[in-house]
Amino acid sequence: MAARKRSTRGKGRRTKAGREFVSEAEEILERMREDLSQLAEATAGDGEADPELVNGLFRSAHSLKGLSGMFGLEGMSELAHHFEDGLDRLRMGRAHLDSAGLSLFDDTLTLFSSTLEHLGNDEARPEHEQKIVDLVERLDQWTQSPAGESGEEHGLDLPPTILRALTEYEEHRLNENLHKGRAIHVVDVDLEIASFEEGLAEASRAIREVGEVISTLPSPGDAPESQIRFSLLAATEVSGAELASRLELEPSAVRTGRETAHGEAEAPNKVSSTEGPVAHEEGVGSEAAAAEEISAADTPVEVKSLKSISETVRVDIRKLDELMNLVGELAIQRGAFKAIATRLAGDPNTARIGSELDKLHKALDRKLQELQAGVLEVRMVPLRQVFDKLSRVARRLRLDLGKDVSLEISGADTELDKLIVEELIDPLMHVVRNSFDHAIEPVEERLAAGKPEEGCIRIEAGQRGNDVVITVSDDGRGIDADAVQARAVERGVIPAAAELSRKEALDLVFTPGLSTRSEVTETSGRGVGMDVVRANIGALGGVVDLDSSPGVGTTIGITLPITLAIIQALIVGRGASLRGSAQLRARDTSAGAVRGAAQRWT
Amino acid sequence: MRSLISSTLEDLGLPMKIDEAENGFEALRLLPRQTYGLIVTDINMPDINGLELVSFVKRNETYRGIPLVIISTEGSSRDRDKGMELGADAYLVKPFDPEELRRTVLDLLPGRKA
Repeated sequence: MAARKRSTRGKGRRTKAGREFVSEAEEILERMREDLSQLAEATAGDGEADPELVNGLFRSAHSLKGLSGMFGLEGMSELAHHFEDGLDRLRMGRAHLDSAGLSLFDDTLTLFSSTLEHLGNDEARPEHEQKIVDLVERLDQWTQSPAGESGEEHGLDLPPTILRALTEYEEHRLNENLHKGRAIHVVDVDLEIASFEEGLAEASRAIREVGEVISTLPSPGDAPESQIRFSLLAATEVSGAELASRLELEPSAVRTGRETAHGEAEAPNKVSSTEGPVAHEEGVGSEAAAAEEISAADTPVEVKSLKSISETVRVDIRKLDELMNLVGELAIQRGAFKAIATRLAGDPNTARIGSELDKLHKALDRKLQELQAGVLEVRMVPLRQVFDKLSRVARRLRLDLGKDVSLEISGADTELDKLIVEELIDPLMHVVRNSFDHAIEPVEERLAAGKPEEGCIRIEAGQRGNDVVITVSDDGRGIDADAVQARAVERGVIPAAAELSRKEALDLVFTPGLSTRSEVTETSGRGVGMDVVRANIGALGGVVDLDSSPGVGTTIGITLPITLAIIQALIVGRGASLRGSAQLRARDTSAGAVRGAAQRWT
Repeated sequence: MRSLISSTLEDLGLPMKIDEAENGFEALRLLPRQTYGLIVTDINMPDINGLELVSFVKRNETYRGIPLVIISTEGSSRDRDKGMELGADAYLVKPFDPEELRRTVLDLLPGRKA
């Protein structure tokens, strides 16, 4: 399926630059999806958008805008631009992240993906352009919806050099933290110019353990030739003295602008955080300012992410397949090698050289196996990729169906072969949709059954031996095995007199004729396209089973081999062929017959 | 002791774990115990012959997705046609080149091409 998808991709992807663009854009989109997914979770939890996630999304949108602009894709660039605006409002606290916003962002990412997918496909272009226009309009509407905060003033005793250098975003963060009643400190760290990045990252990390770094202002240190001083504006839950000890700094290195609201008395000096001109933004293009502000606010994070990028390589899976094939061909060569060694060993005149060759062959064999294992390992990816997509679908279904259902996920770090993971998306999506649609009852029905208002779908993944097991369970209405059986009889799938165990009756849900009709669904709570799910999983070498208790819920178990590449084979043959092999083996050792045996079966 | 088919498959350089069943009955006992990714079967076996096994596997919802190769000493076209009709994915006649088996197996495994 993956191969087919590739071949239908448009010509825009065929050029090298085109492929690189797509690959980079996909990478950015993937990151945005992850961020958005986490953001959605965080928002669902305490209703507060994690500033770092919003910031990450903003940066990604900014990169995507630049990238697609460079590649001459005006529509994409335009969409990214408006997306960036929306995210900017959000991170400035001028917009509030509601479910409409989340779903809008979700739509935007989906449109980006589909635009990439259809790049170079002229037929699809007008449709995409129209979609972009529509989405831009929706983004603008959302962006302009009223929200945000008033420019409040807070009592702060902070050096004006720092306050003056705060960007609008940093001011917003400062206000937010003051709202929360956190203490505001300025931490001075003196570092060697040559190696300040590490020290700075460390200090920022230590501060983040107890709060947030709002800004990082560099200034000349006491020994300006070799040292640099960073003044970190920090909002924390701890006092200045404690922060200093956490950072292993002299107490004097931490100046406190305001202690926590629930702690000591507030500082007397009233200083408005919005006071004074924001000097560095004047006369600078807004984009440049944004970029500058990003690098200023997030230096430690940037350093970390740059490092991870440089240590990761994106590889086309086809290249890995080629490598795998090469290993296979090598192994066949090695087989011939062994045949020669055996032949030489069989002759007294060449026995010594034969056994040396055999040793070499064994060493080669070991290395080949290591190589094979190495290639296999590279193909492994975490299931998180699929689960994140499921979370998005669930979010969408919640809105569309108006059902209150939570999706709980565990074991997202479980790894599987990349190809399996890709092929898993559709069947899993199907299962989750089924649960939403048919298994979870309407609220009135749930309450009447004594269940909590909110339905729950739980996805768990884990490794069991050579298999990965994924279970999707819900606390919905369950499946009535008798109803399924009755239906099967009615449809002529099984004879009326058939005596089935409960398990066998439930298994009928996977029968093609039965499972495609919604009538079964209404009586049994499930069954749409389960035959397709079983077929898809079967094609991956996996097994699907189902268990259900009426009124309690349904569990669907999917068992998959960890990697496509390890094939569990079953050889069925009568004793005669085994004897045949023994005879041939015996002949193997006599020189002369060997070549034929190594090359062909008889 | 390994059958010829097993040792040839092992030598193909594909990462493979192989279980052997001496006959159809044993195959039926083994099938539910593992998630098999490939079945290679002989045709001429006592009790349950290869074609019967194909028929069982391909009519079973759980197993029908498993690629199945029939290997037979006879070049009987009737066996071949029957096997393919029952849903076998490939049919090889002995003797054959290991490379032929390798290509056949690779073609049948999802997501891989020889």
